[in-house]
Parts: sequence; structure tokens; C-alpha cells
Amino acid sequence: MARSMLIISRQAPWSGPAAREALDIALAGGAFELPLGLLFLDDGVFQLAGAQVPAAIEQKDVTANLQALPMFGVEALYACARSLAERGLDPTALSLPVELLGDDELRALINRYDQVITI
Amino acid sequence: MSELRVNQRPIALDADGYLVDLDDWSEAVAEALAEREGLALEAEHWEILHLLRGFYREYQLSPANRALVRYVAAQLGPDKGNSLHLNRLFKGSPAKLAARLAGLPKPTNCL
Amino acid sequence: MATLHVLSHSPFGDGRFASCLRLLGEGDALLLCGDAVYALQPASTPYASLERLGASTPVYALAEDHAARGGGAPGAGVTLVDYAAFVELCCRYERVNSWL
Repeated sequence: MARSMLIISRQAPWSGPAAREALDIALAGGAFELPLGLLFLDDGVFQLAGAQVPAAIEQKDVTANLQALPMFGVEALYACARSLAERGLDPTALSLPVELLGDDELRALINRYDQVITI
Repeated sequence: MSELRVNQRPIALDADGYLVDLDDWSEAVAEALAEREGLALEAEHWEILHLLRGFYREYQLSPANRALVRYVAAQLGPDKGNSLHLNRLFKGSPAKLAARLAGLPKPTNCL
Repeated sequence: MATLHVLSHSPFGDGRFASCLRLLGEGDALLLCGDAVYALQPASTPYASLERLGASTPVYALAEDHAARGGGAPGAGVTLVDYAAFVELCCRYERVNSWL
């Protein structure tokens, strides 16, 4: 049985390579059929914001890329409710269907996985 | 870096045989690329190639094998969305070969 | 079920430190290395947060990173460790969450 891994993505999409790296780990792990979860925390929730025009700064379309996660077998997608609220993001207007979790649920989530990495 | 000539027009390829400029793609280009692989494209191939181009339009990335199988299964049903069928069509490495023929970038999350 | 959380960035830089403390579960521990040892600065806001964790959450700091940054004797409840103990801690906990 492959060990499960939770990837915590907590950087904004265009602040540096971190958001892309977290997504690449998720896509690669999915391709290898690892049981994966992906949690958006802190500024990471900005990856889920709608109406992004990354072409304006010659970047890849993270919104489109994120939609591919279920196709790569990564279906356990979560976001921190507090991070969304702090940033004024409407949980009903996100570009990806994610399960919203409160602080207690986040602690329980981490405990469900064999491995965890925060990027 | 190598070059393909299609209808007298030079088409640039990278070291792995993928299109340098994705906009260079046409069905004639796909046929020329397939010929280099010793493959004659038939309806079953075209169906997958067009689907792959749709995948890229939607997700802006090239699928690895498992994602390709899932996507084909979702669009065309399990008779076509399975490794056996796709391996048979694309010489055992569907994600890489089909992406190359469909004019997509090389899949990055793939063995 | 416990996790060792490893922090290596300054607690004054961004929200990493606060988020990590918030996600500490029962039995979890904290290991500070690199610039994260600045959290041990007496009378600082991060240090006050560490004190509020209480005895149920062990706090470790890598001794050489602490010394390199001019840290003196650490406050009560903080254990300085060498690399061998760092490795031992990583093995003792069920999982290690590196906050990269």
C-alpha cells in the first residue's frame, strides 16, 4: 500500500515558484497513483481566485491547470476557511470545488495522512 | 532540434521530436510526424489526437498516461479509455507519442 | 498520531509561524532551525506565542543555528538539540511537516 501524502500549498500563485511546485508534486504523485490530498492555506487560497489573467504577466494558466487535478486522480481538495475569510474570498466563487475546513478539521486532516509537506 | 518539411514549409521540432511552436500543428503535420514513427493514422488515432488537443485547450497541460486514460474514458467510454486500447494505438507509450502527434508539449509528469 | 513541525523561516517574515502554531495538534512538537530560531528572541511577539503553547507542546531548536545568531540561554521549555537529536526527533514522530 502506497503511503498517503498531504500537500499544503500556502503561497500565492505568482509570488514565486512555490505554487507551481506544489501543483507539480500533486500531478506527478497522481500520475504514480499515490493517495494524495491538496490543502490550500494562507496565501495559497489566492490560487483558487477566479478571473485571473496570467497571460498579462506571461505565466501559465494556474486555474486551467488546477482543473486537471481530478483527471490526474487527485480528488481530495481542501481549503482553509479562515484563510479565505481573512482574504475576503467568497467560498462560493472559487475556481475549483474544494472542501472548506476549520482549524480543528485541519488538525484532524493532517493526522489522516502518512506524510505531509508544506510549500 | 530538428526540422520537418510539410508542404514545403519547415516545421521546427525540439530534441525529443515535439513541435517548438504549438501553432505549427495541422493534420498534415500530424501525418508527417506519424510517418517518422512508422505509423499510419487511422480514424481511431485521430479520435484520440483531437481529444488530446481538447484536453490541452481545457487544462493547458499534457496528460500523463493515467490522466489520458481517465479523460478518454470520460469522453468516449471505457472501451476506448483503457491502457490496452491506447497502448495498441500508440506503440505502448500513448501519453508521449500521442502528445507529440497532437502537437502538445512533452508531458512532464510522466515516466 | 503526532507530527513534528519543522520551521526554518524567520517568524517576522510572513504568516508561516502563526499558521503553524494554529495547526499544532495534540502531541505535536515544534523544531526551529535556521532563521526560525529568532522566535526565541526574549520579549518578542513570537516568543510570547511559544510561551502560550504550554508544556504539552515540546519546542526544540537547533543549537548551532541558535548560537550562530547570537542566541543566549533559551527560555524555559525550549530544548536545544544537535543534528543527531534532530534526526532522532524526525524518527520519533509519526510524520514530519517541513514548512518550506
